[in-house]
Amino acid sequence: MSFEYLKFGKEEKDFIAKIEEISGQNVYSCYQCGKCSAGCAFSNNMDITVNQLIHLIQVGQKDKVLEANTHWVCASCLTCSVRCPREIDVAALMEAVREYQLREEPEKIKISQIPKEAYDKLPNIALVSNFRKKTG
Amino acid sequence: MVQYSYFPGCNLKTNAKGFEETAKAVSKILEAELIEMPNWNCCGTVHTMTSDNMMRRIAPVRVLSRSKKHIETLPEGTLNQVVTLCSMCNSTLKIVNREVRMDPDKLEKINYQLEADDEIYEKDMEVKHFLEIIRDEISYEKLSKSVTNPLEGLKISPYYGCMLLHPDEAAIDDVEMPSVLENLVESLGAVVIDSPLFKFCCGSYHIVDEDSIVDTQVEKIVEAARSRGANALVVACPLCAYNIDHQQKIMKDKTQTKDPLPVFYFTQLMALALGVPMKTNHFEDHHINPKPLLKELGLSGGKKSK
Repeated sequence: MSFEYLKFGKEEKDFIAKIEEISGQNVYSCYQCGKCSAGCAFSNNMDITVNQLIHLIQVGQKDKVLEANTHWVCASCLTCSVRCPREIDVAALMEAVREYQLREEPEKIKISQIPKEAYDKLPNIALVSNFRKKTG
Repeated sequence: MVQYSYFPGCNLKTNAKGFEETAKAVSKILEAELIEMPNWNCCGTVHTMTSDNMMRRIAPVRVLSRSKKHIETLPEGTLNQVVTLCSMCNSTLKIVNREVRMDPDKLEKINYQLEADDEIYEKDMEVKHFLEIIRDEISYEKLSKSVTNPLEGLKISPYYGCMLLHPDEAAIDDVEMPSVLENLVESLGAVVIDSPLFKFCCGSYHIVDEDSIVDTQVEKIVEAARSRGANALVVACPLCAYNIDHQQKIMKDKTQTKDPLPVFYFTQLMALALGVPMKTNHFEDHHINPKPLLKELGLSGGKKSK
């Protein structure tokens, strides 16, 4: 069995507090049942699952959280939020991680690099919601 | 004739024209007319789940306040309800409406921004999806009595998508066992094919920059319906419709294997059953043309070929 020693100082606590502030959720409500990941339509595209990401938030591992693609793959379908037995708005936590990153680097998607043809064929709601989720 | 203040949202004027035009046509036949509110703006499409960003809540609140003004110009007795067709608008407006009702602080901050335009919101509006109006106000009995061309032969799998049922405050029906689309399809004389993936997210806005995610989702959704015997899907969201319709076309061109399933808006099915002229459906905007299927089943209008 291997162990990893985690630092849990001011930086970690500040990260947790910020995520809780943006999302309005208590991350320690989560008892890691895994229902969110089990019902998630996108689990197969995520490098770590939703409950694993929440666990990393609980222990303040900011770098590992921000490295994951989990919160970017999440499309806010809210299946996890309506099913969570602890009534956590799980999707709001994903949004909070996205926002945390976007408030530092506001361009997850470079709008200028989208080809012109895409604007002609894509529905407006796809573009508006994408820009709302992926730009700060 | 009852009238409703109707908020279209951006997509119903561009690539979902068939959705809007059929909805307006059937609403007249069913005596619950949708009157478009003037001077509307985009609702923002997705509701912000942050607790601290008020900017993104202003647009939907402005819609509610402008709809109230619109209702004042409609005949007396018109209810304080704004009706939507797009399920993303429905969800965004419902969530923000509930938020500002529960949290006077938020409303005050937002109204501070709207004050200059004399558009203060007074928490007096209700948001309704057209499906709720059909179920609760018009009733399925009245709908099935108005049917002139029953949709015999169509085996339709209802696909709700996420936003009609999530989150709880925006849900128009039971979150895990909805029946509103099923009842509607049955009232029109078509057969319902239940699919376990009725609310399996289609990938939504990933279509812009991660369309491979959408492809996998669409493949699963369509296969679940097809393997159970469906020959068409019915949806209520222009983004689900685009993703399922367009990506099926792309996959068909790439792999040339399976027959794609045409995607209908629920109002298009109503229009077909209620005898609204075919051109109202704008089937030319669809990537998978539903006309061959309708022709095969003798549903393309005119006399039935039996």
